[in-house]
Amino acid sequence: MRGFLRRRLLWGSLLVAASVAVASVYVVWAGATTRAAYLSGWLLFAVMVLLTGYNWFKKIPYLPLGRSEVWLEFHIYAGLFTGVLFLLHVRLRWPTGWFEIVLTVLYAIVMVSGVLGIIISRGWPKRLTARGGEVPYDRIPVIRRQLREQAEALALNSVAEAKSATIAEFYTRRLHDFFAGPQNFLSHLVEVRLPLNALLNELGDLNRFLNEQERKVTAQLVTLVRQKDGLDYQRALQLTLRLWLFVHIPLTYSLMLWAIAHIVLVYGFSAGAR
Amino acid sequence: MDTVHFVIDKPQRWDSSFDPDMTEADVNRLMEIRPFSEMDVSKFSKRTPLRGILRNDARIRRFKNGEIIVRAGDYGSSAFLVLSGHARVVLNPGLPASMLGRRKSQYKSFFQIVAQLWTNPRDPEVRTAAELEQDSGVKVSGKQRGVFLQDVPRILDEHKTATMAPGDFFGEIAALSRAPRTATIFAVGDQTELLEVRWQGLRDLLRFDDHLRHHIDRIYRERTLATHLREIPIFERLNDEQLKRVIEQTQFGTYGDYDWSGDYKRLAKEGTRSPEKETIIAQEGDYPNGVVLIRSGFARLSQKFGHGHRTLNYLSAGCEFGLREIAHNWLQRTDSVPFQQTLRVIGYTHVIVVPTAVMEEVVLPTVPEDELPSRFTAEELAGTEQSETQRKLDAGAKIGPELMEFLTENRYFNGTSTMVIDMERCTRCDDCVRACATTNEGNPRFLRHGQISGRIMVANSCMHCADPVCLIGCPTGAIHRGQVGGEVIVNQATCIGCSICSNNCPYEAIRMVEIREEDGAFMVDKDMKPIVKATKCDKCSDQIGGPACERSCPHGALRRLDMNNLDAFARWLNR
Repeated sequence: MRGFLRRRLLWGSLLVAASVAVASVYVVWAGATTRAAYLSGWLLFAVMVLLTGYNWFKKIPYLPLGRSEVWLEFHIYAGLFTGVLFLLHVRLRWPTGWFEIVLTVLYAIVMVSGVLGIIISRGWPKRLTARGGEVPYDRIPVIRRQLREQAEALALNSVAEAKSATIAEFYTRRLHDFFAGPQNFLSHLVEVRLPLNALLNELGDLNRFLNEQERKVTAQLVTLVRQKDGLDYQRALQLTLRLWLFVHIPLTYSLMLWAIAHIVLVYGFSAGAR
Repeated sequence: MDTVHFVIDKPQRWDSSFDPDMTEADVNRLMEIRPFSEMDVSKFSKRTPLRGILRNDARIRRFKNGEIIVRAGDYGSSAFLVLSGHARVVLNPGLPASMLGRRKSQYKSFFQIVAQLWTNPRDPEVRTAAELEQDSGVKVSGKQRGVFLQDVPRILDEHKTATMAPGDFFGEIAALSRAPRTATIFAVGDQTELLEVRWQGLRDLLRFDDHLRHHIDRIYRERTLATHLREIPIFERLNDEQLKRVIEQTQFGTYGDYDWSGDYKRLAKEGTRSPEKETIIAQEGDYPNGVVLIRSGFARLSQKFGHGHRTLNYLSAGCEFGLREIAHNWLQRTDSVPFQQTLRVIGYTHVIVVPTAVMEEVVLPTVPEDELPSRFTAEELAGTEQSETQRKLDAGAKIGPELMEFLTENRYFNGTSTMVIDMERCTRCDDCVRACATTNEGNPRFLRHGQISGRIMVANSCMHCADPVCLIGCPTGAIHRGQVGGEVIVNQATCIGCSICSNNCPYEAIRMVEIREEDGAFMVDKDMKPIVKATKCDKCSDQIGGPACERSCPHGALRRLDMNNLDAFARWLNR
């Protein structure tokens, strides 16, 4: 059996076993004592502390704490385990009161962002690799500027060489903004090539007004447009692969603060109810 | 704003001599001893005269009875000449590791590792005064503690040894080919005196004088070749007389350029790297005139495919070529088969050729038939079927022919710890880069960028090459092999910032940086020019956990792999 599949089966089995065990204990305890919610709550909080610790683990790579890969696997499956704990803790009921609703919504966003994050982390690298044109994220603005300068030079030179401003005019109208900055962010994320095809069609249509020399220029422009589109594709996906953490991590800390407040409130107001 | 107030001298060649205690009297004495007495001093350049080499690149060492001079498996960058007394070389199977007193690796202690939380400097590339003064790699010290064998008479009884007498030279092959020592050599008696020449000096001696080169060739044929052949299973049944006959008939061949990186870089820039341009050692279809044994360097094994050549594998030190064909012809006696593949030199390759006649008359009769390579079948020769032997040889089939060509074309087979990134798993999060920077003076020691083939990227990081060409030309020996894992490391104390290693590295894995002192100010020399040092990946050799880049990858996309273990690479690819 291949390594990845074996590990998924191992972690999945552990998750199922832990979930069944916790659910069984909870069902037995829930009938026998009123404090079952405290057990599930503290367990949920303890796992959430461990999950939050993964972010700190990554900041101190020189400590011999094992491989990040294993910690991420633990993070993923323990994160899913918190879903079971959360449902047990709230007894499958929709929360009441604004405090609990905020807590639930925060938890839901953190959970969903985590799941989405892992889905794109597993799937999008394949898309980036298949598309080609690999480029480090921080080099993208430099390469974009180079492409823009090359395209501008082609358009400007065509005026003098062909004694016609057709290409330059087209550049000003359609290509200037395209080369000036990142374009078609959402289209790239959902793998839609309509904007690129539209632009290439317009460049193709332009050929009917051009002489042979100018057509060579548009052929070069088509190459640059494709390169710029590939660059935008890399940027859109690489940026999103980084940005989801800017939702997941800050909201995790908000959730932890909210959870601490929840614990304080529970202990503050539960004395009389015991 | 940083202020500049730290002033040190910019180091020069021979500022840090091998032994500061070497005197003119010592040099005078050496000049009267062979092979130096036979050398023509006028052939040496004015910048590196013979006397200068002996004064600055050599040292006289005295060993006590049982003291180990070189240990099998250690990486060393110097050769030895016996001046007086005797030494013994332990022949195979060698001494157990426990007897050799292997020193523990210099890992940081757990407390030192935790202390990095508050001791890591805020600015990048800070060097402490202690780091720049220490010289644990090459500095000579009279107080250097040796390792002693405890019971020399018993070792002499229980192990096969050979005597090294005054005038004998050893360690030069390991030093020049940057390979691990093949045997342990220890002193016998308390009067053993040796001249140790570091490899920079040895290189200059060989360059300017033929005497030493001939001397080394002769000794190599007499001593090392016997040891080397004894290690190869097919020769292990030869008696002394037969082995002597084989040694007499054996031919040496050196192909390519010792300093091959410059040529490779030029070809890479021109985009003209192709198997057809590589020197052929043995050609497919030719009569097999001898078994080729790779002594050092690498060779490409390829087979005709369409109008080109398909790389099957690359052979490194210890591999043989042509044995199967010769054994087949000897067993079959009719319809001899020619070489089935072509062997081409890549970079620099040193080979030993045992002629077919000697193989047939002396070697093959000593080998039981079931231990000989399998004969070629008719289907195999017709190309309609692949045998088990061929399948094992065809590494391209394991990792894919495109990847095989990619590794060979770009000389990545040289890497013993190549940083390989699976681009279908890598999320481009740069956790590896950050981890590297956090662990190494605030600056990453690699670029997460490099050549790509399919889903595999080989990042611009030191690969800790089997043949580290970066070591060639270092004037002070600052860049050297680590004592334990053989990793290539830079001694910051003796690095003069000359950039030779950086320019030599074909993989652009060494970077020159301006260093700072602890308060963040740039260090400068007396001319107010910044002090520059070479930096590169050292595989986090002082960290208990190993390379931080590999440990920090959350998706298991990055791995340090030995490119000479393609089975492990194939397993990782198909994980």
